[in-house]
Amino acid sequence: MTEATELAKAVDSTDPSVGLRAVAALRQLLEQLEALQVEKARMNDWSWQEIAAALGVSRQAVHKKHARRMGGR
Amino acid sequence: MFERFTKPARETVVQAQGAARRMGDDHIGVEHLLLGLLAEEEGLAASALSDLGVTAEGVERQLAAKRGPGRLGPAEAEALRSIGIDLEAIRRRVEESFGAGALDRGAARRCGHLPFTKQAKKALELGLREAVALRHDSIGSEHLLLGLTRAADEPAAGALRALQAPPEAIRATVLAKLRKAS
Repeated sequence: MTEATELAKAVDSTDPSVGLRAVAALRQLLEQLEALQVEKARMNDWSWQEIAAALGVSRQAVHKKHARRMGGR
Repeated sequence: MFERFTKPARETVVQAQGAARRMGDDHIGVEHLLLGLLAEEEGLAASALSDLGVTAEGVERQLAAKRGPGRLGPAEAEALRSIGIDLEAIRRRVEESFGAGALDRGAARRCGHLPFTKQAKKALELGLREAVALRHDSIGSEHLLLGLTRAADEPAAGALRALQAPPEAIRATVLAKLRKAS
């Protein structure tokens, strides 16, 4: 089954809990991927400004979200 | 500030750090201190909490209910499959670039000491002041618990409320126990 039909099936599901669980899991996956990529970019000497531009968010937002976790690196 | 801590009080902090790590958190918060106090079963603090019906399992359940699933486990994999996303395939790719366990929360991989949140630090400081006010020479788990009742932020405060152990009740129970012991 293709992804599109699977997705359609989930969207179509009469039980919203299935779709909501999927969205929650997707958000979690997104957060983890973002954390990993931001960490890698910082290790490669990217500035917060560059990272923010690539993510399409403000420098303040990305700094606030990630700087503390990375010990202010 | 840990020099004047009794052994159980130190153990509380160690246990709090363990709880934070287990939960995949990168800071030790008031909720982890509470779990640390509960893990130190011999202490007066755990005994007071137990009198009020507060157990480690109860607190953990409350915290888990608030934060939802913390990790990408089998339930998340199944949910993602329902919208056509193969979590295992993503995990394999990510681990190729970032190493084993990369998808488990960043904090879980962090080694060394975890820092305290501002509010957890405040709880410890208030614990020290409680000991001074009671003219006790060292800081025990009971003082940490008294400090915690005055500094509990969310989600610790919410968990205690849900378990019907408001700060005033905890305070009264600890002070009654101290009076009895002296």
